[in-house]
Amino acid sequence: MTPGEPLIRWDWLLSHAGEIGQRVGEHLELTLIAVAVGFLIAFLLSLAALRVPRLYGPISWTTGILYTIPSLALFALLIPYTGLSLLTAEIGLVSYTLLILIRNIVAGVRGVPAEVREAARGMGYTDRQILWRVELPLALAVIFAGIRIATITTIGLVTVTALIGQGGMGYFILLGIQLFFSTALIVGALGSVILAVLADGSLVLVQRALTPWTHTP
Amino acid sequence: MAERRGATVELREVTKRYGDTVAVDHLSLTAPAGRITVLIGPSGCGKTTSLRMVNRLIEPTSGEILIDGHNVLQEDPTQLRRRIGYVIQQVGLFPHRTIGQNVATVPQLLGWPDARIRARVDELLSLIGFDPARMRDRYPAQLSGGERQRVGVARAMAAEPPLMLMDEPFGAVDPIVRERLQNEFLQLQRTQGITVVFVTHDIDEAIKLGDRVAIMRTGKLVQFAPPAELLAHPADDFVARFVGSDRGLKRLSLLTVGGAELDPPIDPSRLDGAPVLSPAMSLRDALAEMLASETQTGMVRDGDRYLGVLTLSHIGRLLRSEQPK
Repeated sequence: MTPGEPLIRWDWLLSHAGEIGQRVGEHLELTLIAVAVGFLIAFLLSLAALRVPRLYGPISWTTGILYTIPSLALFALLIPYTGLSLLTAEIGLVSYTLLILIRNIVAGVRGVPAEVREAARGMGYTDRQILWRVELPLALAVIFAGIRIATITTIGLVTVTALIGQGGMGYFILLGIQLFFSTALIVGALGSVILAVLADGSLVLVQRALTPWTHTP
Repeated sequence: MAERRGATVELREVTKRYGDTVAVDHLSLTAPAGRITVLIGPSGCGKTTSLRMVNRLIEPTSGEILIDGHNVLQEDPTQLRRRIGYVIQQVGLFPHRTIGQNVATVPQLLGWPDARIRARVDELLSLIGFDPARMRDRYPAQLSGGERQRVGVARAMAAEPPLMLMDEPFGAVDPIVRERLQNEFLQLQRTQGITVVFVTHDIDEAIKLGDRVAIMRTGKLVQFAPPAELLAHPADDFVARFVGSDRGLKRLSLLTVGGAELDPPIDPSRLDGAPVLSPAMSLRDALAEMLASETQTGMVRDGDRYLGVLTLSHIGRLLRSEQPK
């Protein structure tokens, strides 16, 4: 930081408002793709694990390993194959969502009370109807808890993808580090946190709208 | 009231084995149409297994189960279950659906038109004593245990099944609510004419609700008879112990004051402090009141009509005459 310069230069903020908006857009896009693709994969793997319980161990183990690889290392490993691309970024981001999403989907479905399942079967629901009309709706609250954690984690991780040229709020963090410019650093870091808080809040609202039975007086 | 539209259920030599354990052993019995047949016995006697074989939640190892003469083992289990009401102790209402949607479950599966489903839901909610407009859109979590149990029964009856299977449906509610639910259920069953197969471990419940009671032990049928017969002539020591040493008193609960012989009316002033009994009253309740009074007798009145005097010896004589053995 240059001596004598203020922590935040408001004039810079104003003059770069357009670019900040653009980076916010990139950040959200990267997050949305990662969580959506991650959810799709996690959902299919969860269905497999629910149908064939002995698959759950290997699935959980593999996604657990993926989760523990440091993100920078993962990007470095992928670059020889997929380059400094959106694909590289998303492979990494998606990998980190899987563990938490699968755990919550499976736990949510398994947590459905046995008597509810028994009643459904006894009234003539097919297995498929039990899954779609009873188990998944009742698992929604737990599944959403997983989506919220996956989303917040991804929003944090997306800042790292700036290193492989994917923009987002990480762009300002890099800029701040390179130029010893605190304003950019703060915009990047604080921006990412604010995005996470807002995304989490919106997901809570969506969940409440989807599960009216969990909050009736 | 309604014509009997219940189905007859017949179990023929039904056996269920799990490895070397025999859960149900060559069980044969017929649950008559429009009646309540109770399966009772100690835990592990195979009563619940037997019940769950009727709607094929459990597949028998051998034997036949016929509903109105059709072998259930030749039907698609899902289709079969939609035609049979099913109520379990923990109820298993869908927490994410409103009361109305819960009751509508099977009609919806059967593809009834919406208007017919709505009408049927409101009819059933009224039948179980709910105000449809007030209760329809509530969620199960907003109901008491007794209310949930009522909804469970209504849901099982929704598609007008000719047969209901009930597995200790009133076992999880407190005794006062249980008694009320039993009475309501009896009334409902009588007016709807549904055949019911009912599992319980509570002998008082079996005697109260059962038209016929099947006592089971280690997978075998020990005695199958109307409750009065069971109390008067237990088939063996096991049944005698199971129905309890107070079975004489239990029989009194099945008999009414109107069925007893009476002494001719005497001057009411000589019956000062005697309880007034109605002919519809059970002899067990009458006895309790008489024992508590100074006179040890009861004045029997049917509204304004003074019918006569009931004494302890009349009750004793009735018990002995019903028990020729």
